This record gives sequence, C-alpha cells and structure tokens, in this order.
Amino acid sequence: MISKSNPLIETKDLVKKFGSFTALNGVSLKVYPGEVHALLGDNGAGKSTLIKALSGVHQPTSGKILVEGNETKFNSPRDASEVGIGTVYQDLALNSLTSVTRNFFLGRELKFGKGPFGILKMQKMHNIAIEEMAKIGIKIEDPEQPVGTMSGGQRQTLAIARAIYFGAKVLILDEPTSALGQKQQMEVLKTIKKVQQLGNIAIILITHNEIHARLIADRYTFISLGEVIGSGTSKDLEGDDIRRLMAGGAEVGDLAKELA
Amino acid sequence: MSSSKTSRKESDRHNPKNSLISMISRPEIGPIGVMILLFGMLGYFSIPASETTWNPFAGEGFNALGIRNNLRVISQLGIIALGAGLLIIAGEFDLSIGSMIGFAGACMAMTLRWGFSIVLPYISFDGGAHLEFYTLLHIPDVSPILAIFITLCFTITFGWIQGFIIVRSGLPSFIVTLGGLFFLRGLTEVSLRSFNHRPDQAKGATTVTEIPDIKNIINLPGYGEMEREAAKYLPETDLISILKNLPSDVITKITERLEYTSQRVAEAKTDLLIAKGVKPLEKALENAIASDNEFMIKTIQDKIENFKIDPVTPKTVTDVDIARAYIDTIGSARPVADFFGGNILEPIFDWLYFPVDWNVNNFGNQFAPGLYSCVMIWVILSLVCYIVLSKTQVGNWIYSTGGNLSAAQANGVPTNKVKISLFMFSAFCATLFATCQVFEVNTSDAAKGNLKELEAIAAAVIGGIVMTGGFGTILGIIVGAFIFGLAKEAFFYIPGIDGSFYRVFLGFVIIASALLNENIRKRIMGNI
Repeated sequence: MISKSNPLIETKDLVKKFGSFTALNGVSLKVYPGEVHALLGDNGAGKSTLIKALSGVHQPTSGKILVEGNETKFNSPRDASEVGIGTVYQDLALNSLTSVTRNFFLGRELKFGKGPFGILKMQKMHNIAIEEMAKIGIKIEDPEQPVGTMSGGQRQTLAIARAIYFGAKVLILDEPTSALGQKQQMEVLKTIKKVQQLGNIAIILITHNEIHARLIADRYTFISLGEVIGSGTSKDLEGDDIRRLMAGGAEVGDLAKELA
Repeated sequence: MSSSKTSRKESDRHNPKNSLISMISRPEIGPIGVMILLFGMLGYFSIPASETTWNPFAGEGFNALGIRNNLRVISQLGIIALGAGLLIIAGEFDLSIGSMIGFAGACMAMTLRWGFSIVLPYISFDGGAHLEFYTLLHIPDVSPILAIFITLCFTITFGWIQGFIIVRSGLPSFIVTLGGLFFLRGLTEVSLRSFNHRPDQAKGATTVTEIPDIKNIINLPGYGEMEREAAKYLPETDLISILKNLPSDVITKITERLEYTSQRVAEAKTDLLIAKGVKPLEKALENAIASDNEFMIKTIQDKIENFKIDPVTPKTVTDVDIARAYIDTIGSARPVADFFGGNILEPIFDWLYFPVDWNVNNFGNQFAPGLYSCVMIWVILSLVCYIVLSKTQVGNWIYSTGGNLSAAQANGVPTNKVKISLFMFSAFCATLFATCQVFEVNTSDAAKGNLKELEAIAAAVIGGIVMTGGFGTILGIIVGAFIFGLAKEAFFYIPGIDGSFYRVFLGFVIIASALLNENIRKRIMGNI
C-alpha cells in the first residue's frame, strides 16, 4: 500500500567498498512517493555509487535496502527494475537512429506471437508512446521520427516516460539537466514536476545545480566523501545551507575571504 | 529588458511531413536513380549496332537470355549481400563470406561425389607406429538434401565460432573474419587436394567434377531414373515405344506445340531469305535514285514489290521429336537439387516463346528455358529478411545493437545473441549461394567465391547501409545488388570501352553512396 507517510525506498547504513577504497560509508536515506528527493554532492562524493547500488549494478558491502518496507537484495539491474526501480542514466540508453516508438519499447516490444520473431504491434505501440509522453507534457507529432532529430529535453522525456510505463515506482534521474541548453533544462524540470504530480512515484534527482534542485526538490540529501553530511526538507534548509553543504561542508564565506 | 512571449513549441521546428518530400528523402532514392540509369544503359547499349531504335528494351540485355543471365549475377550477389548487410546493420563485418562460398561448395560437391564419413584417427603399433582410421559412419550415397544439411552443419558452426570469438573477446570483427577468410580458403584447397588425389596424379586437383547432373535426373517410365540428356538420346525405337504409354491428349498437345514451332521457324527463315534477296535490290534502288534514272527506279521498285521466294517448308514433326519434347517436360526426380539449381518461371518463358520473337533461335530452340532458381531463392530470402528486420522484435534488436550497443544492453536486448546469430546467418547465405552454384553447374572449385565478400559489402553500402551500423533497409540492399550486377553487365555491352570500366564506375558509386549515407546518418543523429 502506497502512502505518503511511508518511504517507498529506504537505505540503512549502506556501505560499499571497492577493495581498500570506501565509496559509501553508511548512507541512510528515505524517499517518499510523490516527492522529488534531490541527491546533491560534489564530484566523487559517492552519488553515482549510491544510485548504482539502488539500481542493482553494484551489490552493497553491508547495509540494507528496503523497498516499501521489505528488505530487498538486487543481484542485477533486472532485479531492481522488477521491483519498480527505474534508472534514467545520463546517456539515456536511446538509439538515435531509430524511431521514438522503437526506442520506447526497446527490448520489451509488444508483439503478436511468442519468441523473438513475433510481429510487432506497431500501431498500438505508436499510440502508447504518444499517450505516455503526453502524460508528462511532451506532445510528439510523429512517432516514427528518429530520436536523433528530437531535442535533448524531449529525449529525456522519452526516457522518463519509458521508465514509468514499464512500472517504475522509484525513478532515479542521473543529472538530467546537464549537457542541456537553458530552455531544455526548464523543459526537463517541468517534466519532473509532472511526474511528481502523478503522486505515486518517488523521484531521486541527482544534480550539480542547486538552482534546479531548489526549483523542484521537496527533500535534500547531501553527500560528501561517502557520507551523508546533511538532509532536510525544502522548508528546513536555507539557501546558504544548501550552498555550503553542496560544496562538501566548506564555508562559502571562507572561500570568499580566500579569494578576496 | 524585453522579452517576446511566443507560443512556439519544440515540435514547431520540424516541418510538417509532406508526402513528396518524405518520399524523396528516403535513403533509397539515390540508389534507385542509379539503378534506373543502369537499366537504361544496359538496354540501350545492348541494341545491336545495325538497328536503330530508341526503345532500350529491344536490346540483347533484355531478351530472354539477357534477363536470365543478368538476374543470375544480381540474385547471387543479392543473397550474400543480405547476409553481409544485416550484419553491418548490427555493427559487425564478415570478410569470410567469399571463402565460405568456396568451402561450402567444395564440401557439398565432395559429399555428393564421394559420400560422407566420420572417421576416428588412432595410432596403431602393428608393424611400426602409424596412424589408422576407424570409420564410425559412412554414407556412400548422399542425397542432395543431406549434402546441404552436412554443409550447413559445418558452415553455420564456423559462423557461430567467429561470432563467439568476436563477442567474447571484443576483437574487431574485421580481424577475426579476416582470419576466417584465409583459414577457410586454405582449408578448402587442402581438403580438396587430399580427397581429389587420383593415383596417377602427382598433386590433387582443387576442382571437383564428374558430379552427375542431379537436378536433371528424371524418372522415365519403364526405364527408371536417368539423366535427361541420356534419356533423350536413347535408341529411337525406345523413344517411340515410350510414346505408346502416353495419353493421347498429351501427345496431341506436344505435337501441336512442335508443329507451331517448326511453322514459325520456317516463317522466320523465309523472312530471312526474303530480306537477303531484297537487300541488294534496295541498294540498287538507292543508287538509281542517286543517279535519277527514273526507268531504273521504277523497274527496281517493281522487282522489290514482286519479290517472291518459295517459302521454307516446315520441318515435319516425328515421333522421336515428340518423345524428346516429352522428356523435356518430365519433372525432376530430385526436387531439392531442382529447387536450388533448376529453372523457375518455365511456363512464362514457354508462353513468351514466340509471340515477341524474343526467346528463340533459328533452330527453334529456346534461348532461355526460364530464370535460374537462385532468383527465387533471393526473392524468398529478401522477403523473410524484410519481415524480420522491419516487422519483428528481432529487427528492432538488430537496429539497436548496431545503433547504440550500450543502450540496447541497458534495455535488456541480448546483443551477443543477436550478433552471433547474424554471423551464422551470413554463413547460411554463403552456403545458399554455394548450393545454387553447385547444383546449377555440377562442379566446384576451391577458387569459387573469391572477393565475393567485398562485393557483398559494396552492394550493401551502395544500397544505403551505414558502415558504423544501425541504419539501412532491406530494400536498399536489394537495390544495391541490382546496381552492382547491372553495372557489371551494362559496361560489358558498351562498344569501344573496356569492360573493366565497370569497376571504375562502381568505385565512384561506392564512395558517393558512402558519403550520402553518412550525410543522412548525421542528419538523423542531429549532428547537422
């Protein structure tokens, strides 16, 4: 049962070691449905390791991952996507040369008959792709349009719509606004807002950009050197706090003094 | 600060689709243009020099024999281009296709000629250590279908091995299949020489001959199975006795047909004689007109008008002729061999026998009994490939494997299986090519298929396949094969030009197509 007060996904003291290197040193985190949870931190802070643990790419050394209150172990990305964790990586996993529909259903095509030689239900897939993308705010005129001809924001939407359609309850977005122009960044943020308004999906947003985080995030977790150095809701945190925590806890004021 | 509020959306930046523009911007449109140009060239230049006509289809390139031979070249290339093309769409290469053709042909010819055995070598110490062989299985008489099956076992396994090595090691397919190219060609030569070694020869031959004309083995009532040609040259009394068991309507039909044929041949010969007689008169008439001799003009014109010649009497149809014609109509007793090496569309070629004076020589024999079977196999294979690539799940997997490998893997596409299967498919196509060849000509040579791998890749590129993968269509591959095959023929017909110019031409076409393909790819990728 999904309720606003219970976290959809939760980590408890997650530790991940690569040999002698400790990438994550006891990270705890709660993500609620209908919320955008911004995961902030500098390069190398351990954000990527954390989301890879959540999406089944890495197996944690110790600690727990709970999905809807039940402890879960992921041996592969497939396990994670089966319990409803959809990850949209930076490269979006799209094939630019083929159509929107072919990308939307890549690897999970609807078809007549069993086996890989089943004939595709093209029209049905076209309709679903258009519909699902319209739900989160992008109208596609031509589902046969190659993905390469779409804007960066539209591609992001396609990847998000795909993850949601295939049952993602937790959506992990890995720096969705990086490498985009200003206008397209806003488009992506609008899309995320739309997903948030659907109400039943928890969003983990990894970003570098505090402005974007402040525009849409409901809750923040700051990571530095593999540890959580601060967290809170958007009401709890002031702008300066966010900036300070993002820089790994260093006082921006100190920096200003140094530069002066 | 000023800002203009616009309601423009991202989708407004794409021009609405116009059916004409979307047709012109299809990637196949350039190649189709070249194909039409080549069709025109082939037709026009194959018109004999003495005739003047603007109709390109009057040329020898498009008479029955021309079509038969041109389509054979095109379809053989088309078969392997499908294998090579699909593999390139999935982002890999196969350079071993040509050697695979040689290997498959040799393997098939050897099993047809000497049979098939599985032997176990072991070291025997009786009378000094030496190698002996224990025969596990020996099939002396291999049927065509078994020969094809045995060959496919070898070639598809080899395709799997190549694919497996490439997928597992991550080596470029270029290098692995280059190894395959040398390995298979060498293996073919070595095994042919060692099997084909008669005691009176110093070295074995790399050619297998003396395979019976399997596709033309027929079951002659009362005589059992024999080759068609042998049946036709049975003693005449035997031939006549065959007719006795035939229903009368069959005999009537054959007789009518033969009588019609000899009638038409006689008419053609008569026309020829008249033409021969009139020609000097016409020349004289020209001279008379030049010298303004009115009397002469009138006399010669009268002569031309009243020119008469005894019509050639049609050859009488004998019972032996009927029996031989009947033997020609008997279906093959080896349908598999006939399927790959025989002819197709024979009724159509029969029907077009005389009406257009297009398929017959002065002896009343057809130039072309039909099209080669490999045309049909190409058509079937193209249809299957089209459906698989454009309409099925596997098709989407093939495109994504070549288009963006990591994206395909991230979405759960079994990219390794896709690649290995396509290496096996390309080996399968090479085997089909070899099968058609072996059953058509009943010989095999270790040098068969030399350079065919490059021709196949060239045809695919001309047809709009992008070398980096992920882009291309079956229609494109078909058009590419047409262009390659037609260029080979068309340049041969141009008088006063070296036939090898077709290679120069194709070199241009390949580079131009590759540039065009890359341009289209970049436009789609959004880099332009």
